Amino acid sequence: MNSLRRRLTRDVLAISAALLGGSLAALYFAARSELQEQFDAALRAKALAVGAVVGEDEGRTHLEAGADLLPGPVGAPPQDFYEAWDANGASLARSPSLGTADLPAFAGSLVQPGFWNLKLPNGQAGRAIGVSYPARPENGERGPRRPRSEIRLVVASSREDFDEELAALLGIAGACGVLLLGATLWTVPRVLRRGLAPLDRLGEQVAQIDADNLSARFPATGLPQELEPICGRLNALVARLEVSLARERQFSADLAHELRTPLAELRSLAECTLKWPETRDAATDRETLAIARQMETLVASMLSLARGEHGRLTARREPIAVDALAREVWQQFAARAEAHGLRAVLTLGPATAAADPTLLRSIFANLFDNAVDHAPAGAVIDLTVEAGPSGVTVRVANPADNLAPADLEKLFDRFWRKESARSDGQHSGLGLPLARMFATAMGWKLTAALDGERRLVFTLAGPADG
Amino acid sequence: MRILIVEDSARLQRTLSLALRKSGYVVDLAGDGEEGQWLAESHDYDVIVLDIMLPKRDGLAVLDALRRQGRTTHVLLLTARDTLADRVQGLRAGADDYLVKPFALDELLARVDALCRRAYGAKQSRLVVSDLEIDTLARRAIRAGQPLDLTAREYNLLEYLARRRGQIVARSEIEEHIYDDQVDPMSNVVDSAICTLRKKLAVANDTPLIHTRRGFGYVLEAPAAAAVSVS
Repeated sequence: MNSLRRRLTRDVLAISAALLGGSLAALYFAARSELQEQFDAALRAKALAVGAVVGEDEGRTHLEAGADLLPGPVGAPPQDFYEAWDANGASLARSPSLGTADLPAFAGSLVQPGFWNLKLPNGQAGRAIGVSYPARPENGERGPRRPRSEIRLVVASSREDFDEELAALLGIAGACGVLLLGATLWTVPRVLRRGLAPLDRLGEQVAQIDADNLSARFPATGLPQELEPICGRLNALVARLEVSLARERQFSADLAHELRTPLAELRSLAECTLKWPETRDAATDRETLAIARQMETLVASMLSLARGEHGRLTARREPIAVDALAREVWQQFAARAEAHGLRAVLTLGPATAAADPTLLRSIFANLFDNAVDHAPAGAVIDLTVEAGPSGVTVRVANPADNLAPADLEKLFDRFWRKESARSDGQHSGLGLPLARMFATAMGWKLTAALDGERRLVFTLAGPADG
Repeated sequence: MRILIVEDSARLQRTLSLALRKSGYVVDLAGDGEEGQWLAESHDYDVIVLDIMLPKRDGLAVLDALRRQGRTTHVLLLTARDTLADRVQGLRAGADDYLVKPFALDELLARVDALCRRAYGAKQSRLVVSDLEIDTLARRAIRAGQPLDLTAREYNLLEYLARRRGQIVARSEIEEHIYDDQVDPMSNVVDSAICTLRKKLAVANDTPLIHTRRGFGYVLEAPAAAAVSVS
């Protein structure tokens, strides 16, 4: 599993181990180098001490003083060895500790003496310095200068103590490394866990969010700075989801409700005629047909809305005589309006606009149907069509005393009615949403407003032809 | 039994009233909440079938108003609102039953019958008074083992008296529960119906079950009980 904490732990541990190993190695090699320099300096001092007592006598180089120039502690095994040769390779001096063995006769200059590791005659690991220098005059020699012979001197000392110190240093460095690595191993996961705890808590809160508690919000304060924008985005996302889900639930409930009533009508009608067959007549069949048509209209409207919402509603654009179409559609409602005691005032100026004739006809039918059914008896319905420089405007106005300004936007909500009762079978509450969707698909705009005389005014505005 | 249907769907009004009338109930209809509340306040119904989403006044508001007035009429909420929250809200508002649309007609009739029984403190659909047995589901009456040949209204009258056995039932109450509003208050339709019923009850056994309490009304009870109550 791709775990952020695991990856961070792994990376931090790897980086810590690399840094720790590198640091300890650097420390070790620096200390080793320093110790070796000190060792070499000691060798150089010993070589100088031995060289100081090697002189020249009648063309021969020999030791000026005692037999062992580098005596070790009394009773302890010899640690230092030296041997000096003249220019001919003849041994001038040698430490008694050499016994019969010889030291290799390598030599550098006084300025750049040679150092090397070697195996000492006593079998121990050692380090040697080799220098070549001119022999100094014997006992204040005076007179004309003559060529001075070269003396090669090699001094070697045991590396046992030096190697032991290095081994101890290496051991300490290793132990420190292991200890620090262990501490890092123990600490890093805990530090990360503690540091990532707010993220864990946020994750738990996110996991608890489901469709039933979308009203919950993440705390916006008391969070690490890095998480605050995430929380803000999550809260905004959940809020959008809540609104969307509430809308979908409301829509499902509304749709179920719209279908339940005609279904109840249909079922009770069928059960009545089955239970009491003598009650069945032509009116019963007409009722059944009317219910079926009502449900068909509802389903067709729902399908149109669904198509529109999924962008599958295509609108043609062709020049339409809007005034003529409005007059033609109104004729279908004129008789009903008269039966309701309504008077229509049509002010239809010549107006041509680019529109889909089918959709525009449907919009008109919805607006007129709405006006005829909701205008109070004796009211006047005003229908105006006018053309202007910016396009064509159609207005349908009728008195609407029971509407409040807050109702205006709800007019275009699916299944919304001013009265909550929904079983009149005449209005599904989908006509106006469909009309607006058709207008939008054509590039037109349908709005509603209440004028100063408390009339509901629908305004349909479209571009001019072309 | 008198039922009030408050339902804004004209089609449901028609089918429900048909089914209930065919089942022997007297039915009044209201198409909106205001009219429904007015009728419920004006009459003593045995059961009110009440829609929730009604024009003019919400069904729950009507129910609340009736309960605040102390009316205990049994109310069956008949609605398309089907969520648990809706059902709980309806029952907590004081409804006695809740039925979601679409519904089975037989279930509605059975629920209305159960509420009617409950209105008179009965648990069973079989009423027994002495040798008279009434099967309210089959709408049949038997006296001394002999089926009675009753019209629908006679049966309704007998069932109503049997449900209130031992109680004095006033003429006005009989008119309220058995007859609809078309009955002339000054007519003797109740008295003549009681007279006819007595004759039909006497066919199998001439011991009277329906007794007149002058100035009060009628009472249906077993002969021994009647003797005790008279003495």
